[in-house]
Amino acid sequence: MGLVLRNLQTVVPLRRARMRKDVDILRHIFGVQRFDMGIICVDNRRIQRINRVYRRRDQPTDVLAFPFYEDLRPGKLPCVLQRDEYNLGDIFLGVECVMQQCRETSQDLHQTLTVVTAHGICHLLGYRHETEEEWNEMQQKESYILSEFNRLTGSRLQPLTKRCSHHT
Amino acid sequence: MLKSVSRAVQLAARLSSRSSASPASAISSAPRLSRTFSRSIWSLSGSSGASSGSRPRLLTATRALPTLSCGCGSLHTEGDKAFGEFLTDEIKEEKKIQKNASLPKMSGGWELDLNGTEAKLTRSLAGEKVTITFNVNNSIPPQLEEEPEQTQKGPEEEPDIVSTPNFVVEVTKQGTKSSLVFDCHFPEDETSHGEGEEESDIFSIREVSFQPEGDTDWKETSYTLNTDSLDWALYDHLMDFLADRGVDNTFADELMEMSTALEHQEYIKFLENLSTFVKCK
Repeated sequence: MGLVLRNLQTVVPLRRARMRKDVDILRHIFGVQRFDMGIICVDNRRIQRINRVYRRRDQPTDVLAFPFYEDLRPGKLPCVLQRDEYNLGDIFLGVECVMQQCRETSQDLHQTLTVVTAHGICHLLGYRHETEEEWNEMQQKESYILSEFNRLTGSRLQPLTKRCSHHT
Repeated sequence: MLKSVSRAVQLAARLSSRSSASPASAISSAPRLSRTFSRSIWSLSGSSGASSGSRPRLLTATRALPTLSCGCGSLHTEGDKAFGEFLTDEIKEEKKIQKNASLPKMSGGWELDLNGTEAKLTRSLAGEKVTITFNVNNSIPPQLEEEPEQTQKGPEEEPDIVSTPNFVVEVTKQGTKSSLVFDCHFPEDETSHGEGEEESDIFSIREVSFQPEGDTDWKETSYTLNTDSLDWALYDHLMDFLADRGVDNTFADELMEMSTALEHQEYIKFLENLSTFVKCK
């Protein structure tokens, strides 16, 4: 089944085909093409609600990840026995929040969504950034993934650099 | 953890054939019980040959029914009188909750053409004509019972009735004889009533086909692309194609709003006609 893409919001016009293409390249670089994954685009109101319910943080955010496998060692793919276990989980993209950030920094929305999605996939694969060590490990992985993405597509994407722990 | 969307989609794919065949007679619940009830009465009073004989017929004039005099020559019963009074109150209530007597406007320069319960929106853009057609009949999905704590409304408040009609998008290019036609619908999500984690797109494309331009009947011999088992990259391009022509989530939201207002308008009109008919005015 691969990538399930859902757009549940009306605030930000999205190019679905481009998003799918970019995320498919990311999945290829991560080596997780065989795994299903959901990407759900939502507005501030909805991501704030999800953030409140699941993380007790009553504010909008750019990305929330819900791994199917919750105890993965960072970077280790899950051992899968059955077809329906080829599932990494879901990433909720706060596209309205991302758009606001893009306006402030004059960055391209879809490029930024690719960066944010790469960050989300890292979370699905067990990466965290609660400690300095975890952060460095995740930063390294993101840098590698995006440098490969840049090499394949001619883009110049940079990993999420701000130090934050507002994702799940 | 949230229910995984990708897993849910696997299940949805299995169920899609059932959901697409949902009964066309979806009737709203609490506020419009009168409609369901009146239909039941209608079916009881059907005058087919099989129903004749000794079976009692509800709306047939007999000497046993109390009648009221009127110069029109039609039957008037005590029941009709009570029915008329009920309809007067119902119409008053419905008008009270009607947000606007006029329909909301669609953004994007769409021209609206109404024919009873059918609405047609048209827009021309750089040599292309885009037409949207929908019918508000049977466009209200049944309301699901919700747990009281999950709703933000008080127990006395009734849930909002929203009309979510299937709609057909027809894209016609200049100088071509056939149009590209998209059969679109608002998915009936199990959790889409209220503030749940809805997991379906606001609207989706069900079928795509080339059809002779201007034909109202669907030509069954034209190849019809069903999106149930479609390559998703192709599906995304189709959605982007519609978005470029003004048919996106915002449009779908506005269409829902307009359809809801039109359905309500037609409902009130129906009640008024019914009232006139019953009261024989």
